[in-house]
Amino acid sequence: MKVNYNWLSLWVDINLSPDDLANLLNHLGIEVENIELTSNDAIFTLDITPNRPDLLSIQGISREIAAKTDKNLKKVINYQIPEGARQDKEIELSVTIESVGDCARYVASLIDGIEIGPSPSFISERLEKCGIRSINNVIDITNYVLLEIGQPLHAFDYDRIGNKIIVRRAKNGETIVTLEEEEKVLSNLDLVIADNRKPIAIAGVIGGESSGITEKTKTIVLESAFFKPELIRKTSRRLKLSTESSYRFERKADIGILRTASLYALHLLLKYAKGKSVCSIIDTNTNPELTREVPFSFEKTNRLLGKRVEKEEVNAIFNKLGFRSNGDDTNPKIEIPSYRRDIEIEEDLTEEIGRFIGYDNIPSRFGYSNEHPIIKEERDILPIKRIMTSLGFSEAMNIPFIEPSWVKREGENPIELKNPMWSDKNILRVTLLPGLISNVKRNLNRGEESVALFEVGKVFTREREEEEMVAGILAGNMPINWYESQRPADFYNIKGTIEVLLKELNIGGYQFSECKDPFYITERALSLNLDKSTIGCFGLLCQDICKADIFGFEFNLHKLLSSPKEKIQYLRTYRFPPIKRDLSIVVDEKTPYDRVKNIINSIITHDVKIELIDVYKDPKIGNNKKSLTIRLELYHPAKTLTEEEIKKDMENVIKGLSKLGADLRK
Amino acid sequence: MKLHELEKNARKEIEETATSEELEKVRIRYLGRKGKLTEILHSIGNLSKEEKPVVGRVANRLKIELDQLILIRKKNLEESRTLGLEDLSLPGRKPTIGNLHPLTILSEEIINIFISMGFSVVEGPEIETDYYNFTALNTPPEHPARDLHDTFYLKDGRLLRTHTSPVQIRIMEKHSPPLRIISPGRCYRVDTFDPSHSPTFMQIEGLWVDKDVSMADLFGTLKIFARKTFGGDTKVEFLPGYFPFTEPSAELWIQCPFCTGKGCSVCHQGNIEILGCGMVHPNVLKNMGYSEFLGFAFGMGVERIAMIKYNINDIRLFYQNDLQFLKQFNESKL
Ligand SMILES: [Zn+2]
Repeated sequence: MKVNYNWLSLWVDINLSPDDLANLLNHLGIEVENIELTSNDAIFTLDITPNRPDLLSIQGISREIAAKTDKNLKKVINYQIPEGARQDKEIELSVTIESVGDCARYVASLIDGIEIGPSPSFISERLEKCGIRSINNVIDITNYVLLEIGQPLHAFDYDRIGNKIIVRRAKNGETIVTLEEEEKVLSNLDLVIADNRKPIAIAGVIGGESSGITEKTKTIVLESAFFKPELIRKTSRRLKLSTESSYRFERKADIGILRTASLYALHLLLKYAKGKSVCSIIDTNTNPELTREVPFSFEKTNRLLGKRVEKEEVNAIFNKLGFRSNGDDTNPKIEIPSYRRDIEIEEDLTEEIGRFIGYDNIPSRFGYSNEHPIIKEERDILPIKRIMTSLGFSEAMNIPFIEPSWVKREGENPIELKNPMWSDKNILRVTLLPGLISNVKRNLNRGEESVALFEVGKVFTREREEEEMVAGILAGNMPINWYESQRPADFYNIKGTIEVLLKELNIGGYQFSECKDPFYITERALSLNLDKSTIGCFGLLCQDICKADIFGFEFNLHKLLSSPKEKIQYLRTYRFPPIKRDLSIVVDEKTPYDRVKNIINSIITHDVKIELIDVYKDPKIGNNKKSLTIRLELYHPAKTLTEEEIKKDMENVIKGLSKLGADLRK
Repeated sequence: MKLHELEKNARKEIEETATSEELEKVRIRYLGRKGKLTEILHSIGNLSKEEKPVVGRVANRLKIELDQLILIRKKNLEESRTLGLEDLSLPGRKPTIGNLHPLTILSEEIINIFISMGFSVVEGPEIETDYYNFTALNTPPEHPARDLHDTFYLKDGRLLRTHTSPVQIRIMEKHSPPLRIISPGRCYRVDTFDPSHSPTFMQIEGLWVDKDVSMADLFGTLKIFARKTFGGDTKVEFLPGYFPFTEPSAELWIQCPFCTGKGCSVCHQGNIEILGCGMVHPNVLKNMGYSEFLGFAFGMGVERIAMIKYNINDIRLFYQNDLQFLKQFNESKL
């Protein structure tokens, strides 16, 4: 909302610079978003919290300034029925509230002799400063009253409606063309103002085109009403129609001000729109509940604020705010005026005390006893994140909305958004991979040579609700440097990453097996199994987003972290260096290294470490063959083994391997 | 050609290569299809009966030896091409290290500040019900404060949590006060994706419930947090605010670090709002089942604090995952 300094000054003596006024408002909880200085005025943009509809007017802001600076308001809006008013029998008007619970009060005034024309400049200028376009004198006056004292008004052209005003629920399917010339289809959840025949306004939201003010309007019906906030809010949201009126009605307008607002508007209409006479004023509720009593407790206030407040101080604040205490010394009842709808319970009063003594005057304290139990919820994802960074992966975070085409796994159903942010990305992610793949593409396009990213986050399926996953992705070349020749990332990079990750997490006893996940290319991927259950897969991704080969992995974090850890147990260190043997063998290219390794392991009788140090294929060693060079380090706890002592083992290894069809290269 | 001369030359040439490319040329010269040794091997058939086995054996052994030699040289070249260089200004051999996301780094920092003040860390689901996200927090349907949280709804009627406050309710259902918890996590609100808005963000919320806990405790606790996060001499101020689930409510503002209080495009007249807080609303305590207790709660957006702290001007950077961006953050730097 916008308010200008000069208009406020008509209501209260400010005696502050615009900056100081902004500071004062901020300290009252009225956030000043912007100050626009003009040659002789300052316009403040305020962010009014939804609990304070009373602040949506010049009068409301002035009340706060006056209370804080200990001043009285300079202006009181209190007009009587203007002189010359008559109850004209020739012009009839009646108001019927059919939907009683939806409209607690309706004040309708009839005024004739109107001449539509421009507004006087003080009105149009103030409107414009507060962000409302000047239209004509009648419309401007309704807006002027709205801005100055906060009550939304609506003007109908009497000659374009019948002489009956009916407040009722719309019929299902009933339509209305609004002042903005849009047709809206209504239902019985919407409240309308109707004449004998049809709706003439959507109550509290917007008027109808057919009943609106035109250049020819002579007689107007002025509406000043109180509608049920929840109802206005629902209609406004459903029709996607938010107006100055609906904004105030849905936050609860002041039921006590309806007649005052009408009389003020009538006064202005007589003066500035050539209104001749007020023909009738109908008020459906001449005795609304104007005040409310809220209990107040000094003891509770002291406990909440952590500060002792004095009775005189409290009473003075209530006084300035227009609240009246019944005088009880310890637990008084406080009478709250109708415009302060937000004050409902004693804590609300405590906040008023805090606001006006100033939060700066509440002490700061820190201390606690150790009685507070520490709630231990087992979860620690930071170590896994740190392992990933140490392996060269940077942490990514993606927005978890994806396209439904990513749902590929059988028996997996996505959770759909009702109001998606982007219409094509209308489901919650079922895997972290799409986000990471798009990150790879973006980074490669921006000239990165080498992309290694990981993400920890939740995925969502109807079957398993929320599951936290860790995923990673590797693409492009390995980082370039001066001491190695550059080469593209490959399957063994991602496999090595997984192997180190598992080792660092102290997870043993896992197996790799064939990967059947549709996100991977089967021939270049493996699945990770722990305790016979699949934790996830890794390998070359099957995707057509990015031209580059992308290697990835994704594991269920809970399964990974809750898997049985290898017990840490000191085994032995060898004092004596091992004897080393390099074994070069040629095997069929389809023979897995794992089998070779297992055979060697099962044959050697000494403690042994086996390391693969070279692999190559060459037609010279035969088609469909590969050469493996394996380094064996054989240890003994009490000595360095001799050639003689390992001879038998080595012979047996060669014999064993020859059953695989291996050919020893000397 | 004499075999032993060929062997001598080959060994020397292999030894003298300086790059893998040179080595490959030497390999082709001797072992390629038309290489010197290959030709000898091919021509063995033309030799005399006496020469054939001798030359054959020697040549074959030589071939295996040269193969091996080239392999070893290749490894050596790759590993130590620059042995003998004495330029100590060459960059060291560095393992590649990745970086944690700035939101992770900052969240951990904030979480640790509160852990040091005796708070426990708890988490909850991202998919929530209307009850836990709104109604239990004193925001029933059609409450105007729901406008502050434009919500993503699921087709099944549930929603993506708009704050981590539901965790407070869930924890209070399981544990009784006294209680000090913080709940970090991902939240969602319908918003454009532009330099200052994002449909998802990280939030850290805190709750302290006890027989007697007051705004003075709230202010004291959060001043410690603000000074530890933004520096000991940061000007901290509490202003009145509004949240449906706290009463009284407050906002924590600090002096704008960009203009040091003079006023700029980032701040409001020299100040920046850091977080919202307040005394837990009696209706919320009632919903938790602890009317006889008092409590305070606070909540902050991690992105917002990161943007202020690290001078980041576009919130989208957190979710675009450009390595150029991510590589600028590490734990000890921040
Ligand atoms: Zn600034």
